Amino acid sequence: MDVGFVDRTLKTAGILSLLVLTFGSFYYGFYPSLSVFTGIIWGMVNLYFLSLLVRSTLRPDGVDKATALVVLFLKFPLLYAAGFFMITSDFFDPILLLIGFTVVLLVIVLKAFGRVILKLDETDLKNKRENLKSV
Amino acid sequence: MEYQTALSFALPIAVSIAAIGSGLGLGKAVGSAMEAMGRQPEAAGKIQTGMIIGAAFIEALTIYALVGLLLLMGKIG
Repeated sequence: MDVGFVDRTLKTAGILSLLVLTFGSFYYGFYPSLSVFTGIIWGMVNLYFLSLLVRSTLRPDGVDKATALVVLFLKFPLLYAAGFFMITSDFFDPILLLIGFTVVLLVIVLKAFGRVILKLDETDLKNKRENLKSV
Repeated sequence: MEYQTALSFALPIAVSIAAIGSGLGLGKAVGSAMEAMGRQPEAAGKIQTGMIIGAAFIEALTIYALVGLLLLMGKIG
């Protein structure tokens, strides 16, 4: 999997969240769809901050301390506090929130399956090998 | 033992087990990623992507446990 995989996953999940909000509010009502939509947004923000945290801390050049501290402060207290208030409030259904949160993981799994089925990683390797041979 | 008493004993234990499991899993994943990056610094991008996805899945399991705790907490007393 290449570096842009997470960004593409976030884009797909964002499009899916808009589709869920539009069609879900038509078929299931506005508030259940809003719960699923909020769950997807929560999962997306979580994944985005996680990717920022990993990219700023686990890298060969050393830790980017400023970014890591900002992300640590945003992700752990604020995001989890937001999750706590969303789950404990009566406005959102917790099960639908969790379904929305799971959608992001489902997108990751399906995208990874797609890459395996289409053999995209293998073609990437072949292209790189051919480029190396030509050099 | 009453249902609510059993629940008040079981919930913290269950969430602790989930937290310990995800902590161990994340620790192992980060350790392996660092080792792999040390061996092949040119593959850092791919290793980071795998690490992010693995961490997201591990974290999601802990969040499920936390949500289960919050939902069941309302049934205690």
